[in-house]
Amino acid sequence: MTTVPQDIAEYETVRQWAKGLAEQWGETPEMVQRCATLQSFVELVGKDPDTIIADCTREVESGKRIRIKARREYSAKIEEFQLTVEGEPRKQSKAANYVRSFFIHNGIFMQAGVSG
Amino acid sequence: MEFKEVVGTRRSIRFFDPDKPVERDKIQVILETARLASCAVNAHWLRAVVVERDKLPPEKLQMLKTPVAALALDMAPVHIYFFVDLGVVNRIKGSRLKELVDTGALAPTHGWSHKFVDDFVYPQILEPMTKNLEGYIAAACADAGGAAQNALLAAFDEGLGACLNTPNPMLTKQVFGVPDDWISLWVLLVGYPAESKEAGGQRPRPDFEELYFDGEYPKPFKRDPAVVERLKAAKMIQAPAPLPGRTEEIRRLAEQYDLPM
Repeated sequence: MTTVPQDIAEYETVRQWAKGLAEQWGETPEMVQRCATLQSFVELVGKDPDTIIADCTREVESGKRIRIKARREYSAKIEEFQLTVEGEPRKQSKAANYVRSFFIHNGIFMQAGVSG
Repeated sequence: MEFKEVVGTRRSIRFFDPDKPVERDKIQVILETARLASCAVNAHWLRAVVVERDKLPPEKLQMLKTPVAALALDMAPVHIYFFVDLGVVNRIKGSRLKELVDTGALAPTHGWSHKFVDDFVYPQILEPMTKNLEGYIAAACADAGGAAQNALLAAFDEGLGACLNTPNPMLTKQVFGVPDDWISLWVLLVGYPAESKEAGGQRPRPDFEELYFDGEYPKPFKRDPAVVERLKAAKMIQAPAPLPGRTEEIRRLAEQYDLPM
């Protein structure tokens, strides 16, 4: 089931992701594979990218706060997603890290386990 | 390494080689260095639990992870959990101060005697201090922090990398079963750096004269460029971050350890 009604690259949070990557790494990021991966993730979750990021934050008087529970749930979803990716473990973790990167560059702190 | 170079080379290392163990003698050096730190009333509040990451049951390692430090805990082969033993002052009741009198560190020239400790220092200052918990905890933690800083520098002097983190205080106590009157301070993560020892360069610091004052506030303590040059020669002041190639270094580490970018 997909609930993504527009080209994923057009979502504000996806633009922000691309912008963050460019600022961090000093080059125009390759977004085709990243967006394809994110598309698979949003289909698994059943929510569009902007909604996913919005789920992770809430507005309070002093500004924006991260919803710990939502972030934890999405972190678990990423691990679930990783197992659905076809291919060797390295490819699976790369896909999961693309998704984490999407969260990270939208200001949602997230870490991966270590491998390699 | 010379002292100034140790100070200048220290960085908060966040990329450790997860598979390279740390020699036990180096851990002992770190602890020995903490033990020799300056300490108010010779109380020695700092306690440490040394943990080899791979000997921790996975469920306990999981409990110790905070969102910000989860990866670093995974990468660092050794964790040193620092605690502050709040009960020590009322257990030793000034006895270690009297040891300082006996050894001549505290002398009558400065007004010190056993009787002063027994009649005034412990009953009228130290014991009441422990009842003002807010102030007491701040003082004990500050003191223990100084000892932890010694430990941190010792790690670099031993050719290791290290980073201080703040663990979840309740869970940390639970995992290690420490006494009720210990409070969790920091965890010192220790290992061989997977990143270069420069780790991207010396971190940005506020301007010297914004921090330090000469005789009165806000008259700045003037920074002498000649001293700065001397410290550069001694490798205490090193090239500032970001060094060229840092972005590539992070990219390489991310590839090596499958980390998000």
